[in-house]
Amino acid sequence: MHDAGPGPMARRKVKTSKPVTYADAEPSAFASMLGGLIDANVESRPERKKDFDSLAARVGIWVTDIDEGVTLVFERGALVVHNGLEPKRDITIRAEADTVMNLSNLKIGLFGMPVYYDEVGRGVALKLLRGKLRIDGLVGNLATLNTVTRIFSVAG
Amino acid sequence: MAVNAFSDEWAVRFKDEVNKSSVYKAAAKGWKWTVGLVIEAEPDKNVPESVGVVMDLFDGEARDIHVGPASEAQTCQFVITAPYTRWKQVATKELDATKGMLQGKLKLKGDLPTIVRYTKASQELTECTTRVPVQWPDER
Repeated sequence: MHDAGPGPMARRKVKTSKPVTYADAEPSAFASMLGGLIDANVESRPERKKDFDSLAARVGIWVTDIDEGVTLVFERGALVVHNGLEPKRDITIRAEADTVMNLSNLKIGLFGMPVYYDEVGRGVALKLLRGKLRIDGLVGNLATLNTVTRIFSVAG
Repeated sequence: MAVNAFSDEWAVRFKDEVNKSSVYKAAAKGWKWTVGLVIEAEPDKNVPESVGVVMDLFDGEARDIHVGPASEAQTCQFVITAPYTRWKQVATKELDATKGMLQGKLKLKGDLPTIVRYTKASQELTECTTRVPVQWPDER
């Protein structure tokens, strides 16, 4: 006779919620793209998932040449994407669209550090030096920035 | 000599431009997916029906680019959709394709990490379209 009582299945962890959700009923295209990118990255790469599960931070990204931005609220294993810049951000990245995309193409090297000595890395570093890439809140949040960069990174 | 936008002749010229580009060849190394462009109809601009551009791109080479029905383009692994006017803006450099995607002016379907990894290649593809002299249907 079938035993309907709780068996091993009851203790199995079931994924009940999506890691990436949106605060706004109509997420902007930029919000959807960043959220989708992080979602796919975290789902497909265990090392990114580990970073995602450990990160608690509020990160703003403002794309200067389209005047649009998002706030990413990382809550250790969950991310809420907001349209626009929300208050109390730990870090805010301001750059043109191309540079924001290039941040995702930074390679991750030894000890999980972003690589700034290849072509993409040098381009990003140059933008930083020229003020075309601004990172507010960098002091004291370098480890957070590196974790966020790893979560974004689609490079090998 | 200018060719009609999104015609068979245009597809041949576009493919030639892609295969002439050393920038594309280097940036698209490892790319192995089909890309469909859907040009949505704008009857008031002399584009009565949606058109598809189907691109078989492989490892830095355009193996085939042809114009067909929008439904064919929609079956590609990556699909970028926009109304005719937006595509014209992209091809005439009025609109940057990356910005267009971030603003939702060009709608992208496909694996996001992959397309982001090949941002430079997609920018060069856009550059290739600008090198083909075109007669636009709304200017005829």
